[in-house]
Amino acid sequence: MFDRDDDIVERVVRQLRQPVSIDPALDARVMEEIASDAAPLAAPRPWFRLRRWPWLAAAAALGAVLIARPWSGGSDSAANAFQFVLVAPQASSVSLVGDFNDWDPARSPMQTAQGIWATTVPLAPGRYRYAFLVNGVEWRADPGAPRARDDEFGTPNSVITVGGTGS
Amino acid sequence: MSQPLGIDRVEGSDAELVRRVRTGDIGAYGALVARYRDRLGRYAVHMLGDREDAEEALQDSFVRAYRSLERCDDPARFGAWLYGILVNRCRTSGARAARRRRMFVRDADAMNGATHADQADRVEWSDTVNRALARLAPEYREAFLLKHVEDLEYEEMVRLTGAGVSALKMRVKRAREQLQKFLREAEHV
Repeated sequence: MFDRDDDIVERVVRQLRQPVSIDPALDARVMEEIASDAAPLAAPRPWFRLRRWPWLAAAAALGAVLIARPWSGGSDSAANAFQFVLVAPQASSVSLVGDFNDWDPARSPMQTAQGIWATTVPLAPGRYRYAFLVNGVEWRADPGAPRARDDEFGTPNSVITVGGTGS
Repeated sequence: MSQPLGIDRVEGSDAELVRRVRTGDIGAYGALVARYRDRLGRYAVHMLGDREDAEEALQDSFVRAYRSLERCDDPARFGAWLYGILVNRCRTSGARAARRRRMFVRDADAMNGATHADQADRVEWSDTVNRALARLAPEYREAFLLKHVEDLEYEEMVRLTGAGVSALKMRVKRAREQLQKFLREAEHV
């Protein structure tokens, strides 16, 4: 690639090939922006207005971010699929638990790719409490969603209200 | 001969991730972001000379790619396609940045483990390289980075930049000559 006497350029190249640190929260910022996209790739236009969470980048630095979006279905369907995404690079397992699956971790295990955990659940219009169960022991609420008021077990839960005729 | 290109390799898993994104799996896109952020980030940082501008360009490129994913004709070459978006984005950002004083980036991680004397030398050398790189015309800097730092073949560079092979070879040659000149000048300061 180089002429033999081009040592100085070779040194430049070695220097420039060193890894460069990129803000680890960049991934979460990208995910936030695309999650709030008004025109998802493969889905009909959502009827649920997605919440915007400016805290997402900061929360990502702490290791947990939730993105929920309606992914399919029209206004005439009973249930729409919502994808939940949790950025938790250090976790070894994550499950989504809530009223919609009887708080059973086995029913909504989240799949990971590069520390980004995701699962999709169908939700009919209504109000649901939910949380993430990280590594089988740690409960995490959605830091941007409203906390459930009736948290009778003392664990951090969030609440999502799915629009439609019932909300 | 250059080593195989990272972006020229057929990445079966890229194709699979793109397929999942297209069917509505937003989490799969997160995996693509994580896969390409560091390498593309390095190009953007060197091209723009400012970390904040580089991260803005990188973020914008990932978002643009997501919104245009239907136009990615060969999902196995998602990386190459994404690279093209970033190269164009850096051109736009670079034009704006040129109106400001350029700032230079030191990689703190690269300094870890060095003695104080080594560290001072490395910082000085890093600054010298950055200053020399910044003095290149944007099209020379772009060609040099793509050819020698990102290790692309000219055919790939043609696809990314829209310039012809002859023009790109000339740019790389001029970039090398000018870098040698700038660095020799720096040695005598």
